Amino acid sequence: MSDLSTQLYQVLLRATPEQVWEAITAPDRTRLYFHGAHVENTAEWHTSRGPDGADWGDGPVCEFDPPRRLVHEWRSAYDPELAKEPPSRVSWEIEDTGDGSCRLTVVHDRLDDSPRTARSVSGPGWGTVLDGLKRLVEEVTAP
Amino acid sequence: MDDDRIFKALADPTRRMLLDRLFAQDGRTLGDLEAGVEMTRFGVMKHLRVLEDAGLVVTRRNGREKLHFLNPVPIRRIHDRWIDKYTEGPASFLAGLQRSFEEEDRSE
Repeated sequence: MSDLSTQLYQVLLRATPEQVWEAITAPDRTRLYFHGAHVENTAEWHTSRGPDGADWGDGPVCEFDPPRRLVHEWRSAYDPELAKEPPSRVSWEIEDTGDGSCRLTVVHDRLDDSPRTARSVSGPGWGTVLDGLKRLVEEVTAP
Repeated sequence: MDDDRIFKALADPTRRMLLDRLFAQDGRTLGDLEAGVEMTRFGVMKHLRVLEDAGLVVTRRNGREKLHFLNPVPIRRIHDRWIDKYTEGPASFLAGLQRSFEEEDRSE
């Protein structure tokens, strides 16, 4: 069995850090690639809601440094089984590569006591979300 | 261009083995990864560098340790771009064929 307690995903995006930051903090952007979730990240609080307004998980924002770094708690309220597990942590890091692109690294960790959440977000889970995010920001910036 | 690097990185049994080891347990040090590999530390480092350049492996510092993580995003892209496209037709055809055989078996 693979150890999934710390998961790391990295993707190169042809977009500016500001565009990526907006894509991960504005609900009218996240709903286009994050399974329809309206995700809002302020300096204090992370909120995720389903298209019908249902609670999909919220928690404190631990680091908020636009347009570079965002760290927040993750709670899987979108699934009753997963919701019973303790909160984990998601970190977003945006690095400007200096050539009109940036590198986005997502680390989902503190999953040691949340094995079901770890399985459900692993591989295709975050992979699909980040692929959708890539398409969204690169479509916007395409000439 | 990115795809070239990924295919080149995957076209080597040692590098595929290193990816498999990271899949089994992610976040490993160089020392951990080279254990059990019949190769010098320098050789393993060179292979890890190729995997890093292709974006398949990402390193993070954790105190004094440098940890290697498997990054599944590029493989997903290769899958969507190069595998789905060619398997979708024949695979769904074969799945349909299999279903029709099964239905025949039942009706006999």
